[in-house]
Amino acid sequence: MTETVAERTQSGSGERKKILELEDVHTYYGSIQALKGVSLEVYEGEVVTLIGANGAGKSTTLRSINGLNHPREGRIRFQGRDITQEAPHDVVKMGISQSPEGRRLFPRMSVMENLEMGAFQRDDRAGIKESLDRVFELFPRLQERRNQRAGTMSGGEQQMCAMGRALMAQPKLLLLDEPSMGLAPIFVERIFEIVREINKQGTPILLVEQNALMALDVASRGYVMETGVIALADEASALAKNEQVRKTYLGVTD
Amino acid sequence: MNIPLLPPDRRREFDAELRRRAIRGGIVALAFFVLVTIFSGIAFSLIATIAVVLALYVVPWDLIRYGRFIVPAVTILLVSLYPYFRDSMFEIPLFGPFPTVDTAVTMTIFIMMAIGLNIVVGYAGLLDLGYVAFYAMGAYTAAWFASPHFGQAVTFHLGSTGVNPEAAGFHVSIWIVIFLAAIFTGIVGVIIGLPTLRLRGDYLAIVTLGFGEIMPQIARNGDNLFNTGFNLTNGAQGINPIDPPGFGKTISDFTGLPEDYLTFNADFLGKEIGGIEVFYWTAVALLLFTVFCSVRLRDSRLGRAWIAIREDETAAAAMGVPLMRTKTWAYAAGAFFGGIAGAYYASFKSGTFPDDFFFNISVFILCMVILGGMGNIWGVIVGGGFLAYLNQEGLGNIGAEINQTFGTNIDVPLYQFGIFGIILVLVMLFKPEGLIPSARRKMEFEEGVSDEPLYDVQK
Repeated sequence: MTETVAERTQSGSGERKKILELEDVHTYYGSIQALKGVSLEVYEGEVVTLIGANGAGKSTTLRSINGLNHPREGRIRFQGRDITQEAPHDVVKMGISQSPEGRRLFPRMSVMENLEMGAFQRDDRAGIKESLDRVFELFPRLQERRNQRAGTMSGGEQQMCAMGRALMAQPKLLLLDEPSMGLAPIFVERIFEIVREINKQGTPILLVEQNALMALDVASRGYVMETGVIALADEASALAKNEQVRKTYLGVTD
Repeated sequence: MNIPLLPPDRRREFDAELRRRAIRGGIVALAFFVLVTIFSGIAFSLIATIAVVLALYVVPWDLIRYGRFIVPAVTILLVSLYPYFRDSMFEIPLFGPFPTVDTAVTMTIFIMMAIGLNIVVGYAGLLDLGYVAFYAMGAYTAAWFASPHFGQAVTFHLGSTGVNPEAAGFHVSIWIVIFLAAIFTGIVGVIIGLPTLRLRGDYLAIVTLGFGEIMPQIARNGDNLFNTGFNLTNGAQGINPIDPPGFGKTISDFTGLPEDYLTFNADFLGKEIGGIEVFYWTAVALLLFTVFCSVRLRDSRLGRAWIAIREDETAAAAMGVPLMRTKTWAYAAGAFFGGIAGAYYASFKSGTFPDDFFFNISVFILCMVILGGMGNIWGVIVGGGFLAYLNQEGLGNIGAEINQTFGTNIDVPLYQFGIFGIILVLVMLFKPEGLIPSARRKMEFEEGVSDEPLYDVQK
């Protein structure tokens, strides 16, 4: 099923380059299997969303990609290179950066220091300054609060800081893990607007979300995960209309 | 009053801080003054000391342009002049006279070790219970390269001082030996670090504890290595004598620096200076080097990575901090300074013995770091100096004072580890972040840190 969808979406999106490809990935936590053969693709310039219930393996998929949990089986390719067993810092260096689940800011560092940590793997001063300006343009709030300790900001501001920090790595692919988690509705909308804006500036995004409605709205394609496998894969608009998805994840009962 | 060095926007902050500190410092100073005067009588040195300390503390120097250099500069000056004014200092109630210069040398060396350990524990947040291994490594390096120990096999001289130029064994100048010791110990740090630093928290502590135990055992049993008859450490007798430091005749003739510390004697700034003063100044110089490196490391990219790992290891990894490499650097840097301190101490004591390197020393140095305030250099200096002083002569003085007052006969230094334990418990109860904590550490103690286990991060 995944095959056919991949083919369909590929033809649908023209001859775009595949930037990330997961092929039958199996990942374990100790002896517990969290991913049971996950395959997915992200193409140049698109937003792909990964939706599903708690514990379906969405975050594990991201942790497999960025090297925090190496898969036991399967292949992960980024821009054609096999990154399955790369260490996290090498993955970051290659151009995949992440805003992790629960934001994971360095709470006692200032906003500025957090952003600088995001650029840890870079040493081009001018480029870092440019990225910083770009982040401040996307998130003016961060500029106002740049000397504040990250841990003392509101949830929405912290999420902005986490996304800004990920952007400081000048990623070729951005992984966003539950950016809307625990945020007030007004912030959720603002965050998704920014996701769209970041993508418009050219960065492909793999977006993990529980808020399926919003996620399918910004994404061009979507994958639905259930207990460690991809249960459904389709154009985002098609998934939003899918009966089963509507019932399970969008809370539409009619 | 107009202070031109003060930016106008800082003025209000400066005044408020000045007032706050003046009240706090004044109360403490007054209490101290009354206490000392009652027990030891009034003395000029007491008033002078209080005046200097108040001037350093009460004025918020940090807020003045270039002011942040004032406190370190004055401190370095006073510490350097210590042998000159030590004899005219007042007596502290209970503790007795100020430490002798001899004790001050030991204190300085232990502070150096504490600062080395602080890099591992305070900056990177890795609990190391085997730091004594690095101290031992430094000391034995000095013993191998600056003593008659290998006399049966080799006779090698390189800038040796204080020994017969024909003497058998390695006799390398102490300055080269210190450098060698630092490098060797740094390498040992990496070797110990590579397998252990994959672990975290309690597991890391236990493994480092193991390495700390292995070292003195090797030292104790290394007189017949693998039954080959090769005598590496001379077993329980230890290795002595180790050559004294010195600059040798050539350099001495040109610069006036001491040729050999043990026999040195000269008139300098109106005081007769002997070997012990030179030992002291050299230790202070090494300590300054250590502090300088430590500060530079803390403020570097590497230092920021250490803080990131301490705050949230998973997030640090996700930001591209190479965990193993960064932690191993912390270990190597800590070991480096432990090696310097160990080599210099061995040369100072002119010998090294396996009994000097047991677990209690690891704990002792760790106590210095915790007591003073993890991560803060001033804190570690105060903590290290105080505990080393207590260990060297403070407890003896206190014991003598108690026995004299109450007519008892208690051997107080015998209970040293009990006493250190009590001090540590009291600190943990009332000021768990240490006497002079770093701002960041203080926050961590108040809020806790994230330490979620991270699977499979190995590279």
